[in-house]
Amino acid sequence: MTQPIDAPNDAPCDDALLVLFANGDGQAARDLTTRLGPRTYAVALRVLGNRAEAEDVAQEAMMRLWRVAPKWEQGRAKVSTWLYRVTLNLCLDIKRRQRSVDLDAVPEPEDAGPSVAERLQDTSRMDALQQALMQLPDRQRQAVVLRHIEELSNPEIAGIMDISVEAVESLTARGKRALTAALSGRRAELGYDDD
Amino acid sequence: MTDDMDLEQMFANARTQRDHLPDALSARMLADAAQVQAGRATMEPAARPGLWAQLRAGLGGWTGLSGLATACAAGVWIGLAPPDFLPDPVGFVYQQEVEVDLIFGVDETGILPGILTEDG
Repeated sequence: MTQPIDAPNDAPCDDALLVLFANGDGQAARDLTTRLGPRTYAVALRVLGNRAEAEDVAQEAMMRLWRVAPKWEQGRAKVSTWLYRVTLNLCLDIKRRQRSVDLDAVPEPEDAGPSVAERLQDTSRMDALQQALMQLPDRQRQAVVLRHIEELSNPEIAGIMDISVEAVESLTARGKRALTAALSGRRAELGYDDD
Repeated sequence: MTDDMDLEQMFANARTQRDHLPDALSARMLADAAQVQAGRATMEPAARPGLWAQLRAGLGGWTGLSGLATACAAGVWIGLAPPDFLPDPVGFVYQQEVEVDLIFGVDETGILPGILTEDG
């Protein structure tokens, strides 16, 4: 299992790049964006299932990284771990706000144009896995994404989600079972019968 | 798609997409970074010194501060243990009461002639 957010062996570590950034080095900003930006965006996209929201979350998470750079204590925490945690918290904030919206106040969507399923696939390009992921509870989805897509270790996920390693194992196991069940019922719908 | 192997294959497919960052999003991140760096550069000269630093500067720096501390220590020492040629400061604060027996003409204190001379 590879380490997340890899960097070449001779490249400065994330901590060192943050120090350079805090000292005004523009190249450090580019290096950090190249190294950390894609994973931040990928996690947000998988957890939220919405491209626009994921972009907003990833941009905000990186903004918080830029702001914390001068106060960053080297060796206290991995930059990537800190960034994953910030990203997931921002995702949870969005989910909580969405749940607090009064559904009665939302107007019925117009039924013109492509079907709801088609629009979901067109606008956010969700694949079958993504749609199944969105059926999981938030914490299960986060744990599954970090374990099986980001390939983080259970202890690192435990640190990011502030739970025990046992809790991570439980969340990922239940998440995988739920995904398998959700996808097995959609085989024909998704066109996998032809494979 | 009912077994773990199918699910693992889907995870593997998802991992191939995780390193993509839209160009527009990357540009926004870099613009934020430049803005933060520029803001920090203009903020640094305006940073105000702390209260202690302001107090020290107002008293003339470390030289003035050490002089003030020495003077304070000397004042306390003189107050507690005054030299012999100085009057006891405690006597100024607490006026001493002296009892003189005028009826029987016995001046045990020896200060009565002086008082009578001063009063004429």
